[in-house]
Amino acid sequence: MNIAKKTVESEIFTGSMADISFLLIIFFMITSAFSANRGLDFSLPEDSTTPPEIKQEDSIDVYVQPGSVDAPPVLQVDGEQMPIEGLLPYIAEKLKQNPEKPVILRTDPAAPYGNMIAVFDELRQSEAKIGMKIDTISIPTQREIENIWTMLGIGQ
Amino acid sequence: MALIRGRDRETSAKIFTASMADIVFLLIVFFVITYKVEVDRTRMELPDSTVRVKIPEEDKPAVISIAPRSEGFLIRVSTGEEMSLPVSTDEEVVTFASTEVARDPNKAFIVKADEEVPYERFDAVLDALKQSKVKYIYLLSDQKTVE
Repeated sequence: MNIAKKTVESEIFTGSMADISFLLIIFFMITSAFSANRGLDFSLPEDSTTPPEIKQEDSIDVYVQPGSVDAPPVLQVDGEQMPIEGLLPYIAEKLKQNPEKPVILRTDPAAPYGNMIAVFDELRQSEAKIGMKIDTISIPTQREIENIWTMLGIGQ
Repeated sequence: MALIRGRDRETSAKIFTASMADIVFLLIVFFVITYKVEVDRTRMELPDSTVRVKIPEEDKPAVISIAPRSEGFLIRVSTGEEMSLPVSTDEEVVTFASTEVARDPNKAFIVKADEEVPYERFDAVLDALKQSKVKYIYLLSDQKTVE
């Protein structure tokens, strides 16, 4: 009787490897996101029993008025209307008199958040644009502003 | 000149796939290395800024996101280690931030807010963070480009 000689193939079947690999690639492509990890930083003052007193007349008051996020922010600086382009030159003049002059950035509750960021970003560029660094940029909250008004006995 | 007839010509129908495995594994290795679990996946239009500092990710900063919705806003909070969860009141933000600060007094917070969110919403979150004695805040932004 003739027994047929069996040939054993030594190959590893890799046909499904492509499927698995592509499945993995698709999984990672969908789930991995190049997360945004940059932004504007600011530090809040350390908690102390005697917070630094900022007198209104010693500071520069920047008020962001309501407007559209697609349009340049409408500002009121020390009570006067001003385009955003005029903000840093105005501050430069003030800083020449007092380099430690703080800037208070207030924003109307109805103004878009993006407009506040645009103004904050402009203030943070002071060193590059006017060659002078603003030491203190304060962003008081509505509650803090109201407390100050109450303390001063002024109705908003 | 001897011509090879059509039926005699041998054509190989195989596609050379030996290098595919290398390419695929290279891609997998790339994705495995760059893979990062994003704790908050809320889609939104971030405001643009020129000044952008890198947020230190080693300490896993907490994330607070504010996104507009058709019927209001959606605020989500994350410790930086777990996926974000929605909160409904400002008091919950204060509680969350206070807990995180109690755990680590130097804990940084990322505020991820849509550019069209009224400032009032951000103000409430900022107030909650100030009440909780948070020291470092990062306002997430996209790179501003010249139009």
